[in-house]
Order: sequence, then structure tokens, then C-alpha cells
Amino acid sequence: MTRPVPLLLLSLTAAATPAAAQMLASRPVAPAVGTPAPAWRNASWLNADHPLTLPGLRGRVVLLNFWVFTCYNCTNTVPSLVDFDRKYRDQGLTLIGIHTPEFPPYAGEHDRANVESALRKYGIEYPNAQDNDSKTWELYGIRYWPSFVLIDRRGNIRYAGYGEFHLNDGAYRMWDGRIRELLAE
Amino acid sequence: MRPPVSMTAAALLAAGVLASCAGPAGTPALLRLRAAPDGPDTRLTLLAAPGLEINARLLPALELPNGTVYRFASGRRSADSAYFAEPPSARLPGRHDRVHGTLRASVCRQDELVCHSVALQL
Repeated sequence: MTRPVPLLLLSLTAAATPAAAQMLASRPVAPAVGTPAPAWRNASWLNADHPLTLPGLRGRVVLLNFWVFTCYNCTNTVPSLVDFDRKYRDQGLTLIGIHTPEFPPYAGEHDRANVESALRKYGIEYPNAQDNDSKTWELYGIRYWPSFVLIDRRGNIRYAGYGEFHLNDGAYRMWDGRIRELLAE
Repeated sequence: MRPPVSMTAAALLAAGVLASCAGPAGTPALLRLRAAPDGPDTRLTLLAAPGLEINARLLPALELPNGTVYRFASGRRSADSAYFAEPPSARLPGRHDRVHGTLRASVCRQDELVCHSVALQL
């Protein structure tokens, strides 16, 4: 026997209660600028012959882009990242996509073939790591798609941020300037 | 007399969201879940607060403890097809006055052009 369903209107809110504050405080903080970048250990890579490691990139400027192909804000930013890779790879920049799914595997974000397809679709030629267990995401204290972490030649985090940007807009120019600054060091 | 279902469920949902929201300044994501009869079934509709969009590239999902996953969908999307232009909904077979499971949605903040994931234990 079925029962009548009352009309429910459930507000899903997180009020600024001490409990909520405690929850938020216990979360990883954003990447700590000025500290050594933590070493990622992703095993599955695309656009790379072998897994890239932080020690192996010492001496290069590294821009990490945390993204996922289902995120519109992420894919809108890809043209700028492709541009950075094209302009600065030969000058010492290594751009790495850290592909971190939002949902469990049923959504398809974990599938290597789907990531490969997205790389082709968006013309991404720089290395990408599959972060299917979100370990690197958590290691860096990331919260949003897309996010960015810029690491200097000595392996220190120098800049971090998040949010979509576009070719030649203000945020693009800001990141472009930061990359050039670190390449010049 | 049975307690009002909405109050019981709302309390559970509020507790769940405390563990899952992450705003840059402690500002929570705001979603509302509306349940209503739909013939012999139950229709769940997900509504986003102003300033938030629900990612249509990653259909919101309700995961039941038995492993069944219901995806929320809507016929109307934004011009770029990235977001729902009307609240997405899912139809659950039968009438339910409470739902146990995990509700997942990818919500995107239009002020900062970022997305984040919300997982609510119902």
C-alpha cells in the first residue's frame, strides 16, 4: 500500500553554527604559498611517456591545473592553458592537468578513454594525471574546479588560485605575469 | 500521530550538508530538494539558490543504499548547455515519505566561476 506523499520543501543550508565552523576548520586549507610543494604520486598519466614526479621537474616552473572534463568553468579555461603551454614550455614551464572526478565512477569521469577524448576535444597536449582517488586534490587542499597551483624552479608553491579565465582577460594576464616572473628567476 | 515528515527529513538533511559544504568564506552551498507526488510515484526536484547553477554536464544523482542510482535531469538547459535552465528532477517509483541515500550535485558559483561538489547524506 502506498502512502500519500506530503509536499516537502527541504532547505539544504549550512548555517554558520559552531558545528559548521568546526567542520570547515577541519578541512584542508588551500595550498600554502611559500612552502614546498607536496609530491604527488599519480600512477595513470596521459600525454606523458612516464609518470611525472615533482623531484624530476626540479629546475622547471610547474603549473598544476585541477580540473575535470564535466566542469564547464574548467573547459572554458583550457584555451588559456593551451596558450601558456605553447608559449612557455620551451622556456621551462611544465603544465600538468590533474584530472580529479567530482562523482563516483558511474558518472564516467574516472574512465581513461573519456579523459583521452576530452584531451583531444580541447586540444590539450600537456601531461595529465588521473587523480581518481582525489589524493593529489586532497594533498594540495583544493576545493574548487578549476584550481591552479604555480610551483617555482626550486619546488616551492608560489601562487595558488581558482576560477575560470579566458584568453587575455585580467586573470589570464595575472597568471601569465606570474609564470613569466618565475621563469625569469 | 506521525511527526511531520518534512521536519524529520529536513533535520537529517541539514546535518548532512554541514559535513559536505565548502564555501570560501564559510558560505555554504544552498540547495533545496522538493518532493511531490507524481502519479503513483514520487518526483524529487532539486533547486539551487540564487547565484548558484547546477551543472548539467554532470547530472545530479541520488544513490540508494541498495546501489540504485537515480539521475536528475531537465529538458531545458542554458544556451551553452552547461547548466540546467529549469530545476532538474528525478522520478522515484512508488510513494516515499522519506528517502535514505546520498544526494550528489555539482554546483557552480556564478560570481567566482568555479564548481564544487555537494554530497548530502539523506
